[in-house]
Amino acid sequence: MYVTYYMSNGTNHDTELFENLKLELRRGCLIVAVLAQLRAEQYGYTLRKALADDGLAIDEGTLYPLLRRLETQGLLVSQWREEDKRNKRFYRLSPVGEQILEQLLDEWKSINASLDRILQEAGRI
Amino acid sequence: MNSSVSRNPQELLDRYLQAVRFWLPRTSRQEDVLAELGEDLRSQIDEKETELGRSLNQDEVSSILKRCGSPMMVAGRLGPKRHLIGPTLFPIYAFVLKMVLLWILVPVFVFIIGPVNLANAGGEWGPAVATTLANLWFALFIAAGIITLVFAIVERTSVHLGEECKWDPLKLPPVRTHERKTSFAKSACELIFGLFGLVWLLLLPHYPFMILGPAAAFLKAAPIWHTFYIPILLLALVGLLRSAITLARPEWTAFPLWSHLLQNVLTFAVLSFLINAAHGSNGAWQPFLLPDNAASNSTHYMQAAGFVNLSILLGLAGTWLGLCIASVIQVWQLLMYLRKRISGAHQPATLAH
Repeated sequence: MYVTYYMSNGTNHDTELFENLKLELRRGCLIVAVLAQLRAEQYGYTLRKALADDGLAIDEGTLYPLLRRLETQGLLVSQWREEDKRNKRFYRLSPVGEQILEQLLDEWKSINASLDRILQEAGRI
Repeated sequence: MNSSVSRNPQELLDRYLQAVRFWLPRTSRQEDVLAELGEDLRSQIDEKETELGRSLNQDEVSSILKRCGSPMMVAGRLGPKRHLIGPTLFPIYAFVLKMVLLWILVPVFVFIIGPVNLANAGGEWGPAVATTLANLWFALFIAAGIITLVFAIVERTSVHLGEECKWDPLKLPPVRTHERKTSFAKSACELIFGLFGLVWLLLLPHYPFMILGPAAAFLKAAPIWHTFYIPILLLALVGLLRSAITLARPEWTAFPLWSHLLQNVLTFAVLSFLINAAHGSNGAWQPFLLPDNAASNSTHYMQAAGFVNLSILLGLAGTWLGLCIASVIQVWQLLMYLRKRISGAHQPATLAH
């Protein structure tokens, strides 16, 4: 019984650890994904849907503060506009955002290549 | 569900947004955040309705809201990220808190307020200990509150403190070595004051006013001092010798530690004999000072002598207690020193720990 309890606790701990690490890994990727999606103007909900359709589901509580932060940093511009008789806030990449996104994508490619090399050297692939 | 509440799904959404508004800080962006969240939720409802080809009932809207999260949690995520004390100030805050609570308040209560409360308890130690502990808890609570409040104010008013702080790596303290030498100034001061003390002790029998002041006119040393004067003089000489050796041989890093301990043990032994001798075989305390022949008939002078003798006895008892504590600390320091020396001998030469 004790062993079962220990194993169950150990599994919970591992799951929690994995979730935390996954969250850290996703955090930076989400910024790049949001910036990339907003090369075309979108409002919050359609952006969330587009990200989810591409496999990067993101909840409201994460997306909207992120959008606000990116806007404050000058990477996005937004405006409230009426569409389908409802006010919606549309976001798109600012000129500065476009430059930064290009740099981030270069960096992403570089990191990806490095990681591939490291994994190949370690015999994981 | 309460029957007075409407079953309109739209109203359920409004109620949800109202609850989120309650938890959101009243900033200029509050309405903006709420409008955006409301729009997102309405879009989710619309999409679901399109998918089902009918309007959603209250339970279906409720499940969408439930998936979104409780109003308090959602407000926490959507609102500005705030710290009472941010990561920049937190290490300083933790340090100050530890210093004040553990290294100032607790020792003050253990060594000063606690003993004073016990002395004034008139034998009722239980309530005195309980009062001291209650006062300590109250003081810890208040001090922690004030420190937290001060740091929270600093956090609010100096957000960029960390960026503005100028520091120079060249001004960092030198790396501490295992063997810390006693400073020259400290050794020299000990030697000079030791010399003064010895001279003072030698002059005392001839000039009692140097210790008794004006009371020397009617008080004189009791016979007990005739027995203990020479041991006290020898103790002063040992101390002087110790200071001279420490000054002359600063590289003998272990010497100050064990010689100080030895001196304390000797002083402790002399003091114990003195207190024991003063206690007397008949259980009555022997006086340390006696009224002069001319004053021995005066009640006033007898009373004064009684007070002075009590003060001397309390002073000796306090010194005895202090020596006990100091000896324990010195033994600990000596053991730590020896442990470092032994562990240092087994480690390769590298940066000092």
